[in-house]
Amino acid sequence: MINKLKITTMTMLFTATAAFPALADDSKIVVGFATAESGFMEAYDKPATDAALIRIDEINAAGGLLGKKIEVVKADTKSDRAEGAKAGLSVLDQGADLVVVSCDYDFGSPAALAAEAAGKVSFFLCAESVKAGIQGVGPHSFSASVLAAVQGATMAEWAYNKKEAKTFYRLLDSWTEYNKGICDGFDWMMPKLEAKGAKLLGQDTFKNDDPSIAAQISRIKALPKEPDAIMLCTMMPGGVSAIKQIRAAGINSMILNGSGMDGSYWLSAVPDLSNFYVPVQGSIYGDDPNPEVTKFNAAYKAKTGGDPSSMYVYPGYVMIDVWAKAVERAKSIDADAVVAELEKMKNEPTLFGSRTFTSELHHQNQTKYLVADTEKGKPAIIDSWTISEPIPLDALLK
Amino acid sequence: MSAASPAIEPQMTTGAIVAKTPRPFVLARRTIITPILLSLLMIAVALLTMMTGSRPFNQVIIDVFLRVILVVGLYVFIGNSGVLSFGHIGFTCLGAYVAAWLTINPIMKKMAFSGLPGWLIKAQMPYWEAAIIAAIFAGLAALIFGRILMRLSGIAASIATFAMLAMINTIYSNWETVTGGTSSVVGIPIIRSIWPYLIAAIISIFIAWAHAISRSGLALRAARDEPTAAAASGIDIPRERLVAFVISGAIMGLGGALMAHSIGVVTPDTFYLGLTFITIAMLVVGGMGSLSGGVIGVVFLSALIQTLRWLEAGVSIGDVAFAIPKGLQEIALGIIMIIILALRPAGVFGNREISLTRNRGD
Repeated sequence: MINKLKITTMTMLFTATAAFPALADDSKIVVGFATAESGFMEAYDKPATDAALIRIDEINAAGGLLGKKIEVVKADTKSDRAEGAKAGLSVLDQGADLVVVSCDYDFGSPAALAAEAAGKVSFFLCAESVKAGIQGVGPHSFSASVLAAVQGATMAEWAYNKKEAKTFYRLLDSWTEYNKGICDGFDWMMPKLEAKGAKLLGQDTFKNDDPSIAAQISRIKALPKEPDAIMLCTMMPGGVSAIKQIRAAGINSMILNGSGMDGSYWLSAVPDLSNFYVPVQGSIYGDDPNPEVTKFNAAYKAKTGGDPSSMYVYPGYVMIDVWAKAVERAKSIDADAVVAELEKMKNEPTLFGSRTFTSELHHQNQTKYLVADTEKGKPAIIDSWTISEPIPLDALLK
Repeated sequence: MSAASPAIEPQMTTGAIVAKTPRPFVLARRTIITPILLSLLMIAVALLTMMTGSRPFNQVIIDVFLRVILVVGLYVFIGNSGVLSFGHIGFTCLGAYVAAWLTINPIMKKMAFSGLPGWLIKAQMPYWEAAIIAAIFAGLAALIFGRILMRLSGIAASIATFAMLAMINTIYSNWETVTGGTSSVVGIPIIRSIWPYLIAAIISIFIAWAHAISRSGLALRAARDEPTAAAASGIDIPRERLVAFVISGAIMGLGGALMAHSIGVVTPDTFYLGLTFITIAMLVVGGMGSLSGGVIGVVFLSALIQTLRWLEAGVSIGDVAFAIPKGLQEIALGIIMIIILALRPAGVFGNREISLTRNRGD
């Protein structure tokens, strides 16, 4: 027994030495990534992290930030919340001035809370819940993406104005905050459209892992007339099955979704899918109206060996971009000074749409989206849309 | 009767019975060294952590202490009764949400849990008071569930506890106005100091020890080893199991409350299969029938996990960087657990406890 104890103690000592913090250094600026390098969140975190690294390389190649090189440190959250808190503390101990956390609010918040407690700026790679910021973490926390609610509102308003959709049906997959967020935005937009003659024919819910949504589909089929558009608030992996079932039932209404269903990797599961629309911040299909985006896609391919798989690559780049600008303007990496500069940003242009931060909201409640249309299994950008007014905070917090 | 069977001992005189009755606390005095040694081990780990001054390592050790609390909670029931319970993490969930209800700032609480009664929304108390209430709440829940479940035995009891876990998880995932549904609950004050966790772990260890040597604990262990003989000796097995179930439920609730404070976020899916299996694995590897086994199982497996994670992250020896592939940690952990169980099917400690003298088990 004594032996076992000895071994245990030695193992622990060993680990303790390994975890010893690196010494802080004033000649460089440290960006810490407390993101998932393994587990299911890696699929979301890795692409956005790679995009962020591309921006960091660009900045370093151009002489650095405030004349200092940006150094990157990483800690793996293993797609686990408790590990996330440790990863956050670990990059802080390695001297991180900016703590980058997981794409999802649920999985990123433990690390973000650790950064907040240490008085450092934290950025969610691509979280789209309003909680990923002041409301759920604290005054030093931001998200690089756009609120899910904006996606729902954008699709509804765009479909009404550009595709003459008059009748809508709302189908919510109540699995995640993100899905609920899309439908919250839709719910906020709908009364405005109804005042102009649109009509919500009905609404229903399902769960992402439901093997069949036959009951929900028969309720749609029971409507006197097929709705013009179905607002489908869902995401991977159950979203694919839902879309497949809707089309298999012979419902040909246009399907509106959030950005979570962007990408062509799943389209082979629903052959010849048509009349399917998602909002995106930039095009991965090589047809972005902004040629710089296509250039970025090439840079991404050169760095990672593959094309971006969805638009969730882009917020990583935006994040480093706006943060570095704020640091330049503040002439300091002091968290409060950087936050103050970030909050001054109003429609700050980036490669993938503009960004606005205020002292009340560290997230986007109105921004331009491109609309990607999938016809016969081929997605392409067909339009762009900016919602007519920003979504107010109380609609986001309900 | 004595005439018919002459081999039997002559009837004892009253004096002989008194002489045979152990003096009070003799069992306590003989066994108290175990919780003391285990506590010293915990304290040593805590002091070591203090010396490193590393915040992530501090968090690792907080996690270890939390697991110690949970595994000790499991031991009180599983170890003493021999009934494998898959449902105890449900009590951890109850405890964590009580901590959330009682410690979050009322303004945020109103937003997150609109369905809570007014007095609960207004309540805000220090974390340790909330943790005590969480333990009591989880204990009460265990009392209610246990009244029914403890009548079952063997595999039926195990499956029933699993059903209880699924039930608690489903309720907490869907009762949006009271638990926030599947959304993360934030705003729980984060306690990064290691001492509250250490103290709670030590308290749990002493509670488990006190229960194990109590009349009820001894009766329960007798029933575990020889149910028929125990029942024939007048032991009310469901009742003794219920006592253990309530105590272990309360410890699990305490662990849940502190877990909520350790990362500041709670969601129902944290308290489900993953945590259930890792805690049961730690207890089984350490030795299901032994308090020392549970505690040292946690420390040992945690150290192993941490070392493997550290290897995953990469180590530089001189100029050579060395790293094992990511994800190998889970595989290696599984293999090591299989080896331990193959060599020692009853776990590292089996039924024995650590002490200064060579002990013969309980």
